[in-house]
Amino acid sequence: MTDMPLSDAAISRRRPLLRNPALLLLPATLFLGVIYVLPLIDLARVSLSGEPWWVHFDRVFSVPLYWDSLVRTMQIALTVACLCALFGYPTALLIQRSRGTLQVLIATAVILPYFIAILIRTYAWMVLLGRNGPINKFAIWLGLYDQPLALLFNRGTVLLGMTAVLMPLMVLSIYSSLSRLDPGLTRAALASGAGPLAVFWRVLLPLTLPGIGAGFLLVFVSALGFFITPTLLGGPADQMFAMHITQQADSITGEGFLQALAVVLLLITLVVVGIAGRLMGFEFIWGGGKLSEPAEAAVKGHSGSARPRRRSPATVIADMIGWPLLRIMGRMPASAGTWTVRALGFLIICTLILPILVVIIISFSEASYLTFPPPGWSLKWYEKFFSDSNWMSAFWNSLGIAALSAVIAVTLGASAAMGIVRSEIRYKSALMLLLVSPMIVPPVVLGLSLYSLFLQLGLVGTYFGLAAAHAIGGIPIVVVIVAASLQAVDRKLEQSAAVHGASPLTVFRTVTLPAIAPGLAAAVFFAFLHSFDELVLSLFLSSPRMKTLPLMLWADINYQLNPVLAVVSTLEVLLVVGGIILARPVLSRSGGGH
Amino acid sequence: MAETLAWRKPRQRMAPPAPRQASREMIGSSISMRSVVKTYGAFCAADRISLDVEPGEFITLLGPSGSGKTTLLNLLAGFQTIDGGEILIDGRSIAHVPTHRRGFGMVFQSYALFPNMTVSQNVAFPLRMAGVDRATSDRRVAETLEMMRLSDHARKTPFEMSGGQQQRVAIARAIVMRPKVVLMDEPLSALDRRLRESIQIEIRALHQTIGSTILFVTHDQSEALTMSDRIAVMDKGHIIQVGRPVDIYRQPQSRFVASFVGESNLIEAEILENRGGTMRLRSRSGLVFDAQSRDASASGTATVLVRPERIALRETATADSVAATVTSALFMGETLRIEAEMAGGETLLIRCQDTAARSLPQIGSRIHVSWGAQDCWVLA
Repeated sequence: MTDMPLSDAAISRRRPLLRNPALLLLPATLFLGVIYVLPLIDLARVSLSGEPWWVHFDRVFSVPLYWDSLVRTMQIALTVACLCALFGYPTALLIQRSRGTLQVLIATAVILPYFIAILIRTYAWMVLLGRNGPINKFAIWLGLYDQPLALLFNRGTVLLGMTAVLMPLMVLSIYSSLSRLDPGLTRAALASGAGPLAVFWRVLLPLTLPGIGAGFLLVFVSALGFFITPTLLGGPADQMFAMHITQQADSITGEGFLQALAVVLLLITLVVVGIAGRLMGFEFIWGGGKLSEPAEAAVKGHSGSARPRRRSPATVIADMIGWPLLRIMGRMPASAGTWTVRALGFLIICTLILPILVVIIISFSEASYLTFPPPGWSLKWYEKFFSDSNWMSAFWNSLGIAALSAVIAVTLGASAAMGIVRSEIRYKSALMLLLVSPMIVPPVVLGLSLYSLFLQLGLVGTYFGLAAAHAIGGIPIVVVIVAASLQAVDRKLEQSAAVHGASPLTVFRTVTLPAIAPGLAAAVFFAFLHSFDELVLSLFLSSPRMKTLPLMLWADINYQLNPVLAVVSTLEVLLVVGGIILARPVLSRSGGGH
Repeated sequence: MAETLAWRKPRQRMAPPAPRQASREMIGSSISMRSVVKTYGAFCAADRISLDVEPGEFITLLGPSGSGKTTLLNLLAGFQTIDGGEILIDGRSIAHVPTHRRGFGMVFQSYALFPNMTVSQNVAFPLRMAGVDRATSDRRVAETLEMMRLSDHARKTPFEMSGGQQQRVAIARAIVMRPKVVLMDEPLSALDRRLRESIQIEIRALHQTIGSTILFVTHDQSEALTMSDRIAVMDKGHIIQVGRPVDIYRQPQSRFVASFVGESNLIEAEILENRGGTMRLRSRSGLVFDAQSRDASASGTATVLVRPERIALRETATADSVAATVTSALFMGETLRIEAEMAGGETLLIRCQDTAARSLPQIGSRIHVSWGAQDCWVLA
């Protein structure tokens, strides 16, 4: 051991500030600080710039148009969240209970739509529910009514569309909570004399409440800021709050009022998330496990959501009303429960998959308008798409921007994930919260706040501007996926490599990198997809000369519904299916996050 | 014992439904398996298994992993459906009784304590499910916790307890209904050795107290020997041998049982004379010795089991001893473990007590070993 002093010296020399993994957090934090936090602060400043300062807010709350819309937005979001929970639970149960190929199929049916652009899924519903759409045709064929009905543009379709769009979020959240349960618990309850209903009520439900809660909040918060689906599927009476912001942005309104609208939406979102975070931990946002805080970890241990409490009023009420109800239901044959789960789950899966299938079929239609089933088959819409210079340039724009955005998001996000998982700094949770918070900020608010910054910097309508803006939403995705893969890496492997003489860089290259490579690949793909699908920010930040694919789609959907849109949608589905097949091993591990 | 008597008093007449009624003379159910079959695709996890368990018996299913013991337990509990044959409890088939109506108690390897409930809520769970009124339930829970020495932990959550305590909670939950049958699925495998031994004794005493039929699954042969009234040794979906621990250990019927239960020396020998009950044999090293046997008609060659602790170690040669060369000698505390090679090339494992008079033999030194006819058993 003659070289002991030497290596001692080496350690002390090699441990300056620069080697601290916390530094890896710096680039992402700076980036988000400049391009995300500052514009939001500026937004708030402008909203308060009136004379007196509350004048704009006063207008938001006193003008019935906005106040009603705010109430309506809350109602819709709440209804959608309830519907998602109601139908999502059986679907999650179905995934958990099925085995083998069936399980993979059902899970794919839920996950696949999750990664397809909201715009495209909404468009699919427009096709499905249209005057000449399959639903009308089918009902007439059945003889339910003679003339096609106007199924679109009412509250019902808004709720249906939003529920279908947000359902995967809920299912994944509940499923990840279900799959973490010890399967022995169900057996133990059964062996203790609990019937299937009692198992559900006393064991499954209480233990998956955190998952339901997380899913409920994610859906609720996303629904609050929803813009695309209600615009396309709703009628004049279904104006949601986010829609006012875009409409006001188009018309010339006094500086300040627009910002006040956005601030109100942002504040409501933050308050909801804040309360939820206090109650069940902010981890619900990224649907992952707790990060180990150096000091906190030891204390917290297993406490948290599953901790039993004394009989709270809620449990007393649940016991007095819910349980007797279930006991009455328990008189039904035992198979009824299983069949209810299957029927509901099947219904949901159809709701998720059917629209996409219909769109794919329509893309091969011969007709120049939307009708189902297609009168004949042709590839002419594909030809049209690939020969139309507008579509093609939009396509290449989207591809370029998405690639650039993925590079930015992965570089910043992956190093930040490294810093979060491997550093020993305090306020780790707060930093993680900052990194993932773009997931919950309504895109409309973000778009508006970025617009003035981009105007000043001359970034509106530029490749880089759009890529950077999209990377704001890409970074959380990357951080969540990469952090999850990093946490799965066995530290013992790295330590053993180090003990046997590998330098930190070699350890990273030979042990860590191969272990997180699948996660990294998935992160690249999803960051790319996020940008490729992004519409709302692009609406604010693009110029007429530079259009992306979603922008073209958006313009066309509002202008004319033709099968070219179906072609674009089919291509996107192909892209996602390809990506999911490549990324499946990772998905199964990090499901639940965004 | 006072505690026991208190338990056996009929304390309430209305509460639990008939099959679960704690009767004055609490005796477990008989279990009868008739050519039970369970297959997973081409793999046969239980191949026409038949087993009869007496009321109140403590029976252990012992076997390596994949031998079908857990499958059998799951079939009994109703977690899996039976593919052939039938299982009778007290003479009645349970094929159409769902798990939660079978009225068994069960202890799981992972404990499976409900994390959303306190210790007493966990133990009260079966009572609640049976619709026992709160006052009775509270009393019964308190008594059971007392019995398992858990009274101080009633309000804790499972996470706040050690593995041994969690295990006792799981046992308390399994017995709180006084079930006629208690199933235990490797309940001690997650505990360290010392704790495991103390809980083994505790479960054994508990069995005496409550009188339920206990079906215990384990892969640990010493656990099986310590606890059971009878052991069923399983391998590849079959029951190989059923018997009292002492019979399983001393008179195994196959090589598998002999080598799976305890340590063994298996010596190939030629049968010289079969006298029915005893045999005279000659080993490859030329040693002629007597052995006990069940098979009165066997001839040709046989495998003879000699347990390492039955081999006597001698300093000098005697008429019935055989010489061997020490190849390994280990001091293991209470015993010495010695391996020695006999003249015919057979290796013998010898265990002898550590006494003041005996020192550990040198490797390579010559020793003399001997065993009597009572110490040898011819495998059928």
